[in-house]
Amino acid sequence: MAKSSKSPTSFVDHELIHELTRLLDDTGLTEIEIEQDGRRVRVARNTSTSAAPAAVRVEVAPSQPVPEIGPIDPAKHPGVVISPMVGTAYAAPEPGAKPFIDIGSKVKIGETLLIVEAMKTMNQIPAPRGGTVMQILFEDGQPVEFGEPLVIIE
Amino acid sequence: MFDKILIANRGEIALRVLRACKELGIPTVAVHSTADADAMHVRFADESVCIGPPAAKDSYLNVPAILSACEITGADAVHPGYGFLSENARFAEILAEHGVQFIGPKAEHIRTMGDKIEAKRTARKLGIPVVPGSDGGIGSDQEAAKVANDIGFPVLIKASAGGGGRGMKVVRAAGELSTALSTARAEAKAAFGDDAVYIEKYLERPRHIEIQVLGDGKGKAIHLGERDCSLQRRHQKVWEEGPSPALNAGARDAIGETVAKAMRAIEYLGVGTVEFLYEDGKFYFIEMNTRIQVEHPVTEMITDIDLIFEQIRVAAGSELALKQGDVEFRGHSIECRINAENPVSFRPSPGIILHYHAPGGLGVRIDSAVYQGYTIPPYYDSLVGKLIVHGKTRTECLMRLKRALDEVVVDGIETTLPLFRALVREKDIIDGNYHIHWLEQFLARGGMET
Repeated sequence: MAKSSKSPTSFVDHELIHELTRLLDDTGLTEIEIEQDGRRVRVARNTSTSAAPAAVRVEVAPSQPVPEIGPIDPAKHPGVVISPMVGTAYAAPEPGAKPFIDIGSKVKIGETLLIVEAMKTMNQIPAPRGGTVMQILFEDGQPVEFGEPLVIIE
Repeated sequence: MFDKILIANRGEIALRVLRACKELGIPTVAVHSTADADAMHVRFADESVCIGPPAAKDSYLNVPAILSACEITGADAVHPGYGFLSENARFAEILAEHGVQFIGPKAEHIRTMGDKIEAKRTARKLGIPVVPGSDGGIGSDQEAAKVANDIGFPVLIKASAGGGGRGMKVVRAAGELSTALSTARAEAKAAFGDDAVYIEKYLERPRHIEIQVLGDGKGKAIHLGERDCSLQRRHQKVWEEGPSPALNAGARDAIGETVAKAMRAIEYLGVGTVEFLYEDGKFYFIEMNTRIQVEHPVTEMITDIDLIFEQIRVAAGSELALKQGDVEFRGHSIECRINAENPVSFRPSPGIILHYHAPGGLGVRIDSAVYQGYTIPPYYDSLVGKLIVHGKTRTECLMRLKRALDEVVVDGIETTLPLFRALVREKDIIDGNYHIHWLEQFLARGGMET
């Protein structure tokens, strides 16, 4: 996702981050990531000697909550479908229409999952394999970058 | 002034541009390949967009992806750095068509100077002295023979679509001309997609002296002095310094004004460098680079002018506020390009930098995007960083350079640091007594093995 300095600060749970940072220091780990109530928080210790502070990235996942706590990096999930281009992701073929997929949708190989619009051209993103849609990792109208995890199909 | 600048490059120049943007208070977007996700400038940028896999053609040369990145971030200007798309006139035009400002020269000047034959013709028309040679591309072997006889052997066959030192063949006698021509054409076709070649007089021991220019696109232009880039290996610059040990103020002012006048005449926009071969007191135009150059810090150190600032200002439509009289040359500066290569064989050495310590102190500058723990990717150029020093005199500068080189630590990969440590102790270098073949001759006679 195009990381923006405009992330709304109301999404940042200061207590949680402080707790995770203490955990990092106490355990000597370099990275902790947790996901709950549809939110994913990762706190990482910066291992380089550059001046950049320890990275705290808050990504708000879409409304389907995945009730698991533990490090889950969607980009590494074997069923992940990533964006092959830079553009804007749209869930439906046109504004107001039904989305291509929902959580639990069964898809066949080659079926359209979403559209990524780049420079006014609509590119249909096909399912690389058949299966069930387990997670939808983008919001309608969200800018996406190359390699960004979009959907998880199992 | 721009609302948001997208930096369409990587490595040290992307960091350089980012620093200028931050000082100007302009938000930045770093586009990067997957291989550069941990790059320093990507971390420092306000926003970042991954635009493709490691291969340059799918990322840093991927115009649709870069355009898309402009669209989703709202960037209204793109800085192309050097290399990649920086001298791609079509890219500049496409950006303009989409309402995004290309921070660089006008597309027509990029195009004119990108064609080496056209560039030479234009230079000659503007009163810039050129190397004697064929008037345009060579058609037949007979034509080539006539030109060669007129200007005298040895001659150089050059690819019109070449540049940056590539696509050149020396011919010492008439008997070799025919074969050299066909080889040159075949190589040019393979490397640049265009087999057009032209012929120039080959100068035996010239220096490479280039003039930095800056124009506002509205008729005002100034020169910012010269850089001597004679120390090259395989036509790649290795060590650059300014002022040139070979020029005095009179010679500098004369060639500088000739070039600045030409830039005013064409209403050049942005920064550029006019490159010359210099021999026996005479200048011979070889090419013009319509972009910021790797060695621009040398000029910045002796003039105290931030060239990236100036680039951004004129691209945003400002008139040139600097007048020629405002430009002063203070002291001396030398830049060493430190590459991730074996210092004797020059074999590339990508990998993890296990230990890194940058030198410091008065008059020492490092332009580098590496840090301890950083992995030099194998997909791009091997530049680790540029070490630039400044001193009140050339002697002080050399002493400072020697000291700074001895302080630098880059462990885990091989670098060309030992080469510079050797050069700074060489009599010819200390005397400033060298030319464009000097370095290769030094290496060939085993200069690095003593």
